[in-house]
Amino acid sequence: MNPGSGAAPGAVLLEVDGLHSFYGKSHILHGVSLVIGRGEVVGLLGRNGVGKSTTLKAIMGLVQPSEGQIAFEAQPIIGLPAHRRARLGIGYVPEERRIFRFLTVTENLRTGLDRHGVSKQRKKALLEKIYEFFPVLVERRNQAGGTLSGGEQQMLAIARAMMLEPKIILLDEPTEGLMPRMVGQIREIISVLQAENVAVLLVEQNVPLTLEAASRIYLLEKGMVRHHATVAELRADHSIIQQYMGV
Amino acid sequence: MSRRPASIYWIGFSIVVAALIAAPLVLPTFWARLLTEILIWGLLAMSSDLLIGYTGMVSFGHSAFFGLGMYGAAAALLTVSPPNLWLALAYGLLGAAAAAGFVAYFSTRLRDIYFAITTLIFSQIFYVIIFTWTAVTGGENGLTFERPLLAVPGLIRLHLTPTNLHWFVLAVVVGSYLLLRRITQSPFGMVLQSIRENEARTRAIGYPVERYKIVAVMLSGLFAGLAGVFYALQNEFAAPDFVFFIVSGETVIYNVVGGIGTLVGPIVGAAFFLLLREGLSRFFTEFYLIPVGVIFVAMVIFMPQGLLGFMRRWLNQ
Amino acid sequence: MAISLQQILIQTVNGVVTGMILALVASGLTLIFGIMDIVNFAHGELFMLGAYVGVLTLAAAGSFWLALLSAMVAIALLGALIYVTTLRPLLGRDPLTTILATFGLSLILQNYALWQFGPVARKIAEPISGHFTLFYLDYPWYRVVIALIAGAMIFALWMFLKFGTWGIWIRATTQDRVMAQAMGIPVPLVLATVFAIGSGMAGASGVLFGPLTAVDHAMGLDWILKVFIVVVVGGMGNLAGSIVAAIFISLLEAYASLWVSPAQAVIVSFVVLILTLLFRPTGLFATATR
Repeated sequence: MNPGSGAAPGAVLLEVDGLHSFYGKSHILHGVSLVIGRGEVVGLLGRNGVGKSTTLKAIMGLVQPSEGQIAFEAQPIIGLPAHRRARLGIGYVPEERRIFRFLTVTENLRTGLDRHGVSKQRKKALLEKIYEFFPVLVERRNQAGGTLSGGEQQMLAIARAMMLEPKIILLDEPTEGLMPRMVGQIREIISVLQAENVAVLLVEQNVPLTLEAASRIYLLEKGMVRHHATVAELRADHSIIQQYMGV
Repeated sequence: MSRRPASIYWIGFSIVVAALIAAPLVLPTFWARLLTEILIWGLLAMSSDLLIGYTGMVSFGHSAFFGLGMYGAAAALLTVSPPNLWLALAYGLLGAAAAAGFVAYFSTRLRDIYFAITTLIFSQIFYVIIFTWTAVTGGENGLTFERPLLAVPGLIRLHLTPTNLHWFVLAVVVGSYLLLRRITQSPFGMVLQSIRENEARTRAIGYPVERYKIVAVMLSGLFAGLAGVFYALQNEFAAPDFVFFIVSGETVIYNVVGGIGTLVGPIVGAAFFLLLREGLSRFFTEFYLIPVGVIFVAMVIFMPQGLLGFMRRWLNQ
Repeated sequence: MAISLQQILIQTVNGVVTGMILALVASGLTLIFGIMDIVNFAHGELFMLGAYVGVLTLAAAGSFWLALLSAMVAIALLGALIYVTTLRPLLGRDPLTTILATFGLSLILQNYALWQFGPVARKIAEPISGHFTLFYLDYPWYRVVIALIAGAMIFALWMFLKFGTWGIWIRATTQDRVMAQAMGIPVPLVLATVFAIGSGMAGASGVLFGPLTAVDHAMGLDWILKVFIVVVVGGMGNLAGSIVAAIFISLLEAYASLWVSPAQAVIVSFVVLILTLLFRPTGLFATATR
């Protein structure tokens, strides 16, 4: 149950400690704690409604936890508004993608790109690099985000988060509602992020994908981390995942 | 209120009513008159609480109902000879009902801020008509008339002195309060409250939400018209200023200041507001609305449950 | 009474002139509503105070154009101040509370103007005194110039929103405030800026319209009503719709005043509103995008 085990000390990127959160009167998070190292891909599994998405929102600053601490690169960020956290290097890809529907693809990307302290050349290079990763977006660059297909929107959502040059991306159910062929692409994107030394906190219902992409997994139940293990341990004992996912 | 034993509620109610009955006998003329006025504005505010507090619809058009009540009463008193109080009441209520029907039919198609804005704009239609139709309404100058006798053939025949009028108004306000209280606790009132909580669900259960809303606006408009009739009787005039939307805004202020969804709250709000105006206008002359506005805005931000809600919370601590 | 074609054409010009100013006022209101769900009841008072800033600057410096600029800047700053002190605490609450708070603000500002400037109406002299012959009328050039200035300002707003980082930020925040924040857009700053821009536009409109009317503390009341009608008919938060609706309604009122007094011509816009609500409750000019 020690959430720190597995991540090498000193390389800790994000540390969440004892997060409690309420939605109205209902208690959603009952003390979630987890740790993510630099460049590490970590999975967050659990049934629907156990608080996975809320955990991501709390890290992003979109939900105000009533109790608990969040540290990013050893600095507490609990009081910071979401836009400051984004600028620190936390990218967020929400469920339902939440593309800016009436902005073009390029404008969607520019929401993350246009920030102070980034030179024109750097912006141009970043944009070109992203378009290289996602060739499908190039053809659509002047099209409104809302006209893209579900898979394209998911690509755009991830690409948009990457424009922040984040140190971690919070991925909330990226494969939900996608065709099987697209799931492989998501897997590839995660590898690319890993190669770029971007950490990923992956919330998924798709267990095989998560086991393939992540190195460690946190299992959530009723707003608490009930189990924490490396992927190797979970592969050795299938009953654990079955217990928490009910598959 | 419902948690406390009913007897305590009724004892408190009786004490307040008794005090209000005795008030004109003890208070100096000026304050007695102000008290009557507070009751009338309180009735207007209470009528709007049926929409704001119980149905979740903020009306910015109550000045139209109030104003039509005034002009309806004026019409009866000026055209029928000898002037008849009951006819004034009937005309006023009819006028208010017509205005309410018109506003309700259109504005209940919309919700939330759209409802608020359309009630505002629709109430202004009446303002423009009254303001520009000088031949009938007296235009900018309005209409003046004499107070009629309070007469029931074969029973009573009284001059409406300020004191008599006060008691009459008090009886009407207390009666309206009891009636509105009954309405809000009735199955009909429960449906209204369920519309406030979740309109879509109420519709899904099978209630004709639009019809309920129209009836709610009509009822609310009738009580507002009643207040208009008595304001006309007290002041012996009807003027377009009272149809202007600022009056509607003030009505909403009374509700917010007093505490919505309580019926009594809006009366408390009206009292608070009018007393504040009386007190402040001595220091700020006609600019008393500046501090009043500041207090109101501060209450919207910091005390959204109103004076009554604030006091209740404070008492519970 | 026979109405000649010439009269109709003159009223067309008049309608477009008032319509452009109305569009300028309304686009500020609808921009603010679109991005933060605030219905600014005090928008008419910002228009009125803008006119007063114009009167004061004109008296002190003698330049109408300086007056226009200073009204725009002063009212934009006032708008930012109002936003930060009064409206920011209400964000996320029921939009109705913003109507209440801004109604209170409108009382404060109106009475402040009465207190500060008194009940006697002020005048703003026309900066351009030339006339040209429009059929049988000596038509003031100034009216044409106002329409052009208002049009230019609306166009500038349009370009500002369409191109550049701030435009993207504002549009992104309008569409999804939460996601905009998660993308690192400084949403609190964006909202305050939009409120300031909308206010500044109202302030500038007050100065532009000043020469056509009397400047007094109550002048905002007529405008807020008209603007409300315009934004409902145009579709709340729909910028293009508001602009079209403003010109449409002003034209109708101008034509109506061929037969009835201007005070009664307002009824025409009420009728348009009723018809809109009956047949297209989402706005007469509602389109898929905003």
